[in-house]
Amino acid sequence: MTALAMPARLVARGLIARGLLAVLLLSPLVVTQAAVAAKAGAVPRAANGKPDLSGIWQTTSAADFDLEPHSARKDAPPGPGIVVGNVIPYLPDALERKQRNFAARNEADPRLKCFSLGVPRSVYYPEPFQILQRPRDLTLLHQFGHSVRTIHTNGTEHPDNPNDWWLGDSRGHWDGDTLVVDVRHFNDETWLDRAGNLHSDALHVVERWTLVDANTLQYRARIEDAKVYSRPWEIEVFLHRHREPNFQLIEDYCFTLDYDSYYPLPVTK
Amino acid sequence: MSKRRSSIAARAGTVAALPPIGAHRVLGWRPPLWLLAALVVPLAGPLATQAQIAIEKQVLVVAPGKWTGLRLADGQPDVQGHWSNTIGNHDNFTDPQAGTPGDPVRRRQLGPREERAPSRVSDPADGQLPYQPWARERQQEFLKYFFNPIAETYIEPLARCAPAGPIKSLFWHGYEIRQFPGYVLFLFNSGSRLIHLDGKPRLPDSVKLWNGDSRGHWEGNTLVVEVGNDNAKARLARTGEFYSENAKITERYSFDNTGQRYTYQATVTDPTVFTRPWTVTIPARRYNVTDTPSGWHYEVFPARHAGKQPIVEGYERTCVENNGGFGEVALPKAAPKP
Repeated sequence: MTALAMPARLVARGLIARGLLAVLLLSPLVVTQAAVAAKAGAVPRAANGKPDLSGIWQTTSAADFDLEPHSARKDAPPGPGIVVGNVIPYLPDALERKQRNFAARNEADPRLKCFSLGVPRSVYYPEPFQILQRPRDLTLLHQFGHSVRTIHTNGTEHPDNPNDWWLGDSRGHWDGDTLVVDVRHFNDETWLDRAGNLHSDALHVVERWTLVDANTLQYRARIEDAKVYSRPWEIEVFLHRHREPNFQLIEDYCFTLDYDSYYPLPVTK
Repeated sequence: MSKRRSSIAARAGTVAALPPIGAHRVLGWRPPLWLLAALVVPLAGPLATQAQIAIEKQVLVVAPGKWTGLRLADGQPDVQGHWSNTIGNHDNFTDPQAGTPGDPVRRRQLGPREERAPSRVSDPADGQLPYQPWARERQQEFLKYFFNPIAETYIEPLARCAPAGPIKSLFWHGYEIRQFPGYVLFLFNSGSRLIHLDGKPRLPDSVKLWNGDSRGHWEGNTLVVEVGNDNAKARLARTGEFYSENAKITERYSFDNTGQRYTYQATVTDPTVFTRPWTVTIPARRYNVTDTPSGWHYEVFPARHAGKQPIVEGYERTCVENNGGFGEVALPKAAPKP
């Protein structure tokens, strides 16, 4: 491949790797292309050439309060929603259950017990999570509840006879620069948001993770559950990299807070 | 370090005669005969599970030194994979194979002390924690009520799904180590620990954490970690040992160059509770695809894939969600009636 035929971002990587000498050898045209790519926010890449999603991410959206468009409530800021087409296509009985969940949301949301949030809720929940990436997998370390999800990218498949998991079973592959993750084998215990949106154990989520620039991660998910929805539907939300100097996760085993006070620091004589 | 090593060797009785651990090659490594012999340790008491957990009587000490084994692209020694301690679980801190004193179910006829693995306390030499008198009373009080918890405070937090804390996590269930540029991540049966090698500053002292705040670096074969910010709410074992929120812990994870063993040695400095610093030693071994999965040391299942190389994966770790203390693996098929 000649330098001219290389995609601009590969040239940009080459510049870093080869140093000034390479710059001198390249044509002015290619240098210009590289500069444009850098200005648009070339995405970081791992040693294997795949986009490097490592970092600490968080949504600024109000998605966790309600996936659907909603005006302000006592317990939620207003939000435009992140559902493509605005409305979750519930089957009639599921819609009734959702409405009951909504009425009981301030007591019945599993998040109040600090249970694992499930997928996709753990992605747009308003606490940071850290992605740690290896060629074989991505580890998602969530501050909330300190739950850990592994997205396998080593060609392994969903287990044959699986348990139902709180976070599902995640198998990913790279479709160009997009990480596509097939998530199955959920239980029916988690909610999708604080408004009581729900799913069953037949939930099937296909996620698409794409870095649109170095600090912005586009997250799209197709959500399918024949027991609950009349058709598959999609969400789309952006995640932003925490760029504050020295920002880091702080462990949040919030389920311990209910009994925390029984364990006074044993320094009292 | 050599003094500490000989101290353990003397109490274990046999370690001094062991071959140097660094001598094994990565490929074709076979456990030496002494090790195979130690894998089946007849223990007092009827429980096979205890024998499976406490697989060795000796404390194998890997000395700090050079790393000649595999390395990751960022230069870290590659110690990724599944590990578990070799001498016993959290029943008892200073007599790891004796069970918890007062256990009404698992009564044991204990033989002479030297028949069991030595205390995890490797300094002081007597294997006992150098408590201030009031603190020993507090430890004894917890132990007294452990099997009859008349108040909430006597229930072990780990039994309520709390993380076990930085030391006990290493001799509870098996665990996985993953490494990334700037990080070493421990995934325990209950909780996880992200050790920062990235140079970011420690969290402020006012932030207290079940698993503490960990900042580390590699010195040859040894991961050195400074731990602070511990909320001191966990106990070190069912026998009630503890330190305070003022504790500073310096950990040394020394890995054998074959990648099959490591020794954890940590010095705890806490003038609030103890009369002097003390050191805990925990031996660990690697588990890999040739080992049989078990509900204690090696909670994995074979991944489904088209390739020929076996791949294992860990189970999702949940605890509070299931109202049970052992994640998915040890969940009963049907929940017991209350």
